[in-house]
Amino acid sequence: MNRKRKRLISRIIIYIILAIIGISMILPFVWLVSSSLKTRAEFVAKPPVWIPEKAQWNNYPKVIKKVPFLKYYSNSLIVSLSVTLCVTITSAFAGFAFAKYNFKFKQFLFSFFLSTIMLPAFLFVVPEYFMFSKIPLIGGNSIWGTGGYGLLHSRLVLILPFIVNSWGIFLARQFYIISIPDELLQAARIDGASEFKIFIKLIIPISKPVLATIAIITFITQWNYLFWPLVISSSAPELSTLPVGMKMLAMAFDPARNQQLILAGLTIGIIPPSLIFILFQKYYVSGIGMTGLKE
Amino acid sequence: MKNKNPNILTMKRKETFAGYFFISPALLFYSIFFIFPVTFSFLISFKRWNMLRPLSSSPWIGFRNYIYLFTRDDLFKASLINSVIYAFVTVFLTLSIALLIAVVLLNIKYAVVWRFIFFAPIVTPQVALGIVWGYLYDPNRGLLNSILSFFGIPTHHWLTDPSLALFSVMITAVWAGIGGPLLIFTASLKGIPDLYYDAAKIDGANAIKRFWYITLPLLRPTLLFTIITGLLGAWQVFDLIYIMTRNAPAESVWVVSLYMYQIAFQSLRMGRASAAAFILFLIVLVITLIVLRIFKKGGIEGYE
Repeated sequence: MNRKRKRLISRIIIYIILAIIGISMILPFVWLVSSSLKTRAEFVAKPPVWIPEKAQWNNYPKVIKKVPFLKYYSNSLIVSLSVTLCVTITSAFAGFAFAKYNFKFKQFLFSFFLSTIMLPAFLFVVPEYFMFSKIPLIGGNSIWGTGGYGLLHSRLVLILPFIVNSWGIFLARQFYIISIPDELLQAARIDGASEFKIFIKLIIPISKPVLATIAIITFITQWNYLFWPLVISSSAPELSTLPVGMKMLAMAFDPARNQQLILAGLTIGIIPPSLIFILFQKYYVSGIGMTGLKE
Repeated sequence: MKNKNPNILTMKRKETFAGYFFISPALLFYSIFFIFPVTFSFLISFKRWNMLRPLSSSPWIGFRNYIYLFTRDDLFKASLINSVIYAFVTVFLTLSIALLIAVVLLNIKYAVVWRFIFFAPIVTPQVALGIVWGYLYDPNRGLLNSILSFFGIPTHHWLTDPSLALFSVMITAVWAGIGGPLLIFTASLKGIPDLYYDAAKIDGANAIKRFWYITLPLLRPTLLFTIITGLLGAWQVFDLIYIMTRNAPAESVWVVSLYMYQIAFQSLRMGRASAAAFILFLIVLVITLIVLRIFKKGGIEGYE
């Protein structure tokens, strides 16, 4: 009896702690959305108002009018979708090669690809900025790459440095090793199919789950990425993506007067990645789980 | 010449060709966006260059960038120390909390709901998280201080007090980072057979002992993975600190990525910024190898 009671008490304590943790996890989000619907007076009220008396939906059109959100949105969408498409394809390609073919320097190349995640992203910023500014015959550049601004005002600048991803290759390779038996490839070869045809007709359809995982993780990561777009937009403001826009939004307004509008802007910006996560969370989660599994 | 009976040699050649064909996009990418930038950074770290002048007419100054960073640049030293503190403390706290929660949540209902709760910050742009937490930390009207004063706990200037600012950002980072490792831990915890625990129970081991002697040793590979990837991410922290700490003194909160950003793109000292990035890279490399070493000594098969 006593033991049972002890158990019950420890259970209750655990649930209370879990509840506190759970609340602290979602509280900032609840606060964000509810504050984006507040009036100025409700925002500064003390003690804090949780549910605005009358939801100020027009905070949203107001902020969209004040800041070029549509521009940010279209930049973010185009960049994230292009990167996602490229990463998915290149990961499937390279992952398949590393899983199913034997070739010279395979191990070396795979370790080399993976080791790139060790380098800090900001090591690449200066050289890549320089490289993009010097591309010959583009953006007013001479054939020697001087005189103009190169690709710095094109969305390609935001896309190209991300079209291959070591994690994606790693994930695809894991998948191909585990779930595609060599016999399947042999059978297709005996039927006379070329390697490329095998890949397109046979492998791609089987690998839809892992490709979905790679695509979703890539899209969300890219959508949320700030550093490189921030650097680029300092000289090409028309290329600002949503995170850059959110940062500018938070700084552009008089911080003492318009927080509700800033928060409305943030809410708009976090909708796409959240929506994608909600819709496809199975794939996202299986991908994160997969990175932790041993071969 | 076509060979109708494929012998081993042509098979091998075919495989090599196919292999290189499939990795060629990645290979091309890494040559342009990896080998070139790293070499270039390395070279300009020995130059004084502001990007406005042609590279060829900027002077070579040997190790002077490196020497300057270590002897005269207090802001760099502070940033480096902050980076190290930030990386170790956040990774340690994030993983400990994630592991505890994973153990507690293992046999609980509604796992999907929990997963959802812990994943929300991961799929949200860090910029947005930083701005929101900036408001929550606001010393006058912020939610955190309101709650604290409600319970009679002294309030603080979370993001402007030099002794607190970095710590406050770390709290946000831990809060935002639990979801990933939580999921990885859950997956590996599920892989441990109940048999081990049952046997230990019969031998009279309590829950803490079972965790210490069964769970932890069996989680070694997972821990290694999460520590290494966690540290690699933490060295690069930029968004949260950039957004949250603009009102704190630089030396109390700057990390190397912020230093590098400011020196390169505000002060236009490309050489010095590259030298700073390389120093951090060397430190990251050494620490990663040390972590691998520690875990290898404990006797686990290595990750690639």
